[in-house]
Amino acid sequence: MSTKRDAILARIRDANSGRTPTDHPGDFGGWRGDAGPATPLQAFVSGFEGVGGEVVFVDSEVKASQWLADFAKPFTSVTIGEGVSSALRPDLPIALPRNAPLAISQARGAIAETGSLVMDARDGRRTQLLTPTHVVVLSPENIWETVRGALLTLADDLPAAIGLHSGPSKSADIGQVMVKGVHGPGRILALIIGCAPEKP
Amino acid sequence: MTQSTPSDYREASARSLRDTPSVRTSVGSATRTFDAHRVSAFSEVEYDRWKDWARDTKTHALTHLDTYLAQASAQLEARGVHVHWAETAEDALSVLDEVVERHGIKSAVKGKSMLTEELEVNAHLETLGVRPIETDLGEYIIQLLGEPPSHIVGPAIHKSLDDCRALFHDRLGTPLDADPDTLAAAARDALRAEFLAAGLGISGGNFLAADTGTIALIENEGNIRLATSVPDVHVAFVGIEKIVPRFEDLAGFLQITARSATGQAIGLFVSLIQGPRTPSEIDGPKEVHVVLVDNGRTRLLADDTAWEALRCVRCGACLNICPVYRQTGGHAYGWTYSGPLGAIISPGMLGLEKAMPLPHASSLCGACVDVCPVRIPIPDILLHWREKAVDAGLAPTGETFGSKAYAGLAERPASFAAANAALRWTPWRAAGRALPILKGWMQERSAPTPSKKSFRQMWKEGIE
Amino acid sequence: MSSTRVALFATCLADQFYAEACADTVRLLRQLGVIVDFPEGQTCCGQPSHNSGHRDDAISMVRHTIDVFKDAEYIVLPSGSCTGMIRRHYGQLAGDKGQQLSERTYELSQFLVEVLGVESLGSGLQGQTLAYHHGCHALRELGVENEPLNLLRGAGAEVVDWEADRECCGFGGLFSAKMPEVSAAMADHKLETLPDVDAVTSADGGCLMQMSGRAQHKRTGPPFVHLASLLWRGVQ
Repeated sequence: MSTKRDAILARIRDANSGRTPTDHPGDFGGWRGDAGPATPLQAFVSGFEGVGGEVVFVDSEVKASQWLADFAKPFTSVTIGEGVSSALRPDLPIALPRNAPLAISQARGAIAETGSLVMDARDGRRTQLLTPTHVVVLSPENIWETVRGALLTLADDLPAAIGLHSGPSKSADIGQVMVKGVHGPGRILALIIGCAPEKP
Repeated sequence: MTQSTPSDYREASARSLRDTPSVRTSVGSATRTFDAHRVSAFSEVEYDRWKDWARDTKTHALTHLDTYLAQASAQLEARGVHVHWAETAEDALSVLDEVVERHGIKSAVKGKSMLTEELEVNAHLETLGVRPIETDLGEYIIQLLGEPPSHIVGPAIHKSLDDCRALFHDRLGTPLDADPDTLAAAARDALRAEFLAAGLGISGGNFLAADTGTIALIENEGNIRLATSVPDVHVAFVGIEKIVPRFEDLAGFLQITARSATGQAIGLFVSLIQGPRTPSEIDGPKEVHVVLVDNGRTRLLADDTAWEALRCVRCGACLNICPVYRQTGGHAYGWTYSGPLGAIISPGMLGLEKAMPLPHASSLCGACVDVCPVRIPIPDILLHWREKAVDAGLAPTGETFGSKAYAGLAERPASFAAANAALRWTPWRAAGRALPILKGWMQERSAPTPSKKSFRQMWKEGIE
Repeated sequence: MSSTRVALFATCLADQFYAEACADTVRLLRQLGVIVDFPEGQTCCGQPSHNSGHRDDAISMVRHTIDVFKDAEYIVLPSGSCTGMIRRHYGQLAGDKGQQLSERTYELSQFLVEVLGVESLGSGLQGQTLAYHHGCHALRELGVENEPLNLLRGAGAEVVDWEADRECCGFGGLFSAKMPEVSAAMADHKLETLPDVDAVTSADGGCLMQMSGRAQHKRTGPPFVHLASLLWRGVQ
């Protein structure tokens, strides 16, 4: 309703009328005085594993395909994200995300400072959210050091939704005891195709 | 359970302490744990500089709020979002009427949102014949109990594990000695079906980035991602103060909020939502509504001291550190927002008369000042509301009279000394019946023993 | 070296309920070579009225206090909260005169350390095990944190770890009587977490009154002794 909009905006202007407007402080820079010795890849792995995420390294797409085939064996069906390379698809019946026990997604990238996987809606949100076990394919070249760095790049090409998934779903709402997998996947694995990390 | 209002704070807090002492234990433990995590999370980063940045960015946003809201709205509409402006709660709720009718909605899945509590969305949905389903585990628990949330981050922190076991046994048929994983699995199964069947998903909004029109939502369970991705329609209620100027500013706010709330580097799931599904997407809502809500926020903005409270990012850190909040949890405050946050925004949003005595639900200890990530000067705002209450004639008559009398005496040293000497020898127990202030003291504590002689007297006689 | 001269502001609460601690303050300062005046026109710093929102009443007390102490080079108080009131609010409430007074005003332990440069008083507290309660105003308005601890330890006392030592005791002036149940629950948390000690001490009579009043009501707790009295004992 344009009249409600006008009324609210007018009240805001009135409220601010005696006030000196202040400037945006600009970019913060970084939160840490010392970034630490880790490379972005190491920082991502450390953050992600620290909250219960799992990381698997393979040095080629062929190896990734073999690993996935092996990993998928105990599962009865799978749902696969739109962006996942066909070479990686395990030999399992495809099921709807609501029914599949396993999902494979393609991450748009990852963020080192928070240990987050960046999930794009174009890959398929239900596949990213509905199964108990979620494997996310990631290239090490697409790891941003900071959340801000990631957002600056993502801003140029925004889908309807971006999800930052930083570990298995958790809650401490039941008597302050931690439980996993209440809604989102209780098990999440980052399958990193490209290089193994250097030992720090 | 009948809900109290802020004016019931004294009775409600006393009742909580007297009748349900386990609340103090559960709340005390949960808040101290949250706070310890916060301390740990900030020990590894430049806390002070980050708080300065967050304060300054939000202050800039608020002093340009009209421009940024207009920008956000334009961005959202460009992406096909229906943008609604709500001056009042009724305006906000009426958006649901049209959506529910047009789509024949029967059930709605909800992510945790304090604004939807404030607006009483669930009650309204029920009047429309829609079943509202809280999907955050803590909110789900209190929905089953028919209670309001007790804390803005952990709605059920006032409930112990045994309380949850009993509740789930009763409603979901789990064993009475079930472990938390079993209880969680039962909730997950029950709610899974709801996510898939619901025609409508409802969320709040932690932040709204003006330059891209992005709604940012933080959580740990994934239920908000599901509620905003699975149903065909998504309605987001966003307070007008949630604006941040730029998409990249979200980086600083998402992280400082997570660290302040629970000590995490970031919430396990963050949603950055721009609008309905694009043509190349295979799922996601086909229709998205954003309701920009005032509901008293512009009144708060107009107050030259209290407007700083609008910087709030709803992290709950002030609740966690507050020694007053820790004794009772949120219910005693009788409103959606409790603790120091509730005390400073309620007079602006509800009006001072309805909000009293919340600005007095504080010993002015100042612990909250250090933990607020956007540096809201909470004690100063509490004092401001207390002064306004006196000016508005809302202070208790006895107190006003007493303060005036004391001030009068304080300018006459001889009379002052005489009056204090008399007070020292008043039998407090008896006088307590006449003077409420002494009664309040005597109810919980022994009367203090006055010194044999006042210091004044000792000085006159000479100090050895 | 000419003697330092201070005006003692006993505070309305300590004048009546902690008179001996005020006397110990005088004794201690004299022992350290300080000349102590007691301007008898003193009454109240205005904090109770100020904190309840009765600003006009507070301002009249503020002006009176400024007048009483206008000639003092230093004003010393055996109270963190009253000192906090003066240092934090007097400038805002009474302009330049208030500001100038605030800059000359100190809580006792703060004065000993910052102005007199005292590091160690003596060994009069040898063998004493103490718990120190950090009053909120001393801690957060004045930043007085290590001074009392160092002085107590420097006089031979063991000051133990107390997990709740920096949490509000629930006094808050009129708060203790307006919201007595919550106030008492806050005091209970202090008492529930208190380790086994010879005494609990603090720079604030209000805090001591709150905690000792609750402890007595519940028939529990060790003695509660004002910091000034312990420091006086420490110097002997």
